[in-house]
Amino acid sequence: MDKAALTKYILDKFAGKVELLETGKVEPVFKLENEFLLEFCKSINSDETLHIDFLCNIAGVDTGERFEVVYSVASVKNKIRFDFKVVMAYENAEVESVQSIWPGANWHEREVWELYGINIRNHGNLTRFLLPDNWDQGYPMRKNWDAPDFVRMPES
Amino acid sequence: MGVIKKLPVYLEHFPGGGIVATSLDYVLSQSQASSIWYLLFGTACCAIELMATGASRYDFDRFGMIFRASPRQADLIIAAGTITKKMAPRLRLLYDQMAQPRYVIAMGGCTVKGGPFYYDSYAVEKGIDHIVPVDVYIPGCPPRPESLLEGCLTLQKKIKKQKIGDWS
Repeated sequence: MDKAALTKYILDKFAGKVELLETGKVEPVFKLENEFLLEFCKSINSDETLHIDFLCNIAGVDTGERFEVVYSVASVKNKIRFDFKVVMAYENAEVESVQSIWPGANWHEREVWELYGINIRNHGNLTRFLLPDNWDQGYPMRKNWDAPDFVRMPES
Repeated sequence: MGVIKKLPVYLEHFPGGGIVATSLDYVLSQSQASSIWYLLFGTACCAIELMATGASRYDFDRFGMIFRASPRQADLIIAAGTITKKMAPRLRLLYDQMAQPRYVIAMGGCTVKGGPFYYDSYAVEKGIDHIVPVDVYIPGCPPRPESLLEGCLTLQKKIKKQKIGDWS
């Protein structure tokens, strides 16, 4: 399935719930509502045409005004790839865990929680693994993060 | 350690004992400087240079230096590579487990001052002198094996100047 056909298939299948973003230069990028996330993941996983069986990556994004969580997924069998993201407000940001569909999400979700402070609902093991266990200086990948020994790159 | 430290005190009561104590200082510091055993502690790219220094072309062995994988038998720790905040307590633990007298060489920009991770980094310790006392700093990213050898010669000079009484 080529890129155009894939985009059309997903937009048709989830009409009104999924929106195509212009940013996808290499792979299509979709945007969806936070509440629809788990249902969407289950659906693309069980769909015979898509058969998304591999979660490549989960990344957190802090744009300064809002948080985004970007999921990169692929199908090994059908050789397709695309990204989708959920956007949420800065306060009380949280997403549902997708571990029930792709168990490999475990570490990625811990990273997102650890570095951005985005809560993962139903994760079950939100413990630190990149930062020291006794870390108490907040979430370092947030735009407004600061610490006593943190040196920001001077403007060139 | 305790007995050796007190030897000069006892010896100096005897006629000619001062010369013996001085000679003892000399012999001990010479032998100590010529047989530094260093603890393996390479965390990043500097460790490759460290390995190269230990290999046949640069040949660390001619200083009587050999790798030890245990802090108990090592008297020098060469911190080669980036030390993150998560790694820092482990470095301190290994340093504490080494027998005294013990020395530290900070090899490369990262261990000296955070290196390229000085800016915009939340995870990297900006200098291992926050964690352990450093005897010799070796700049470079990474330093060439010659720099490490020079650093070791500098450390040897430092050791040779020491008196038994300086041991802590």
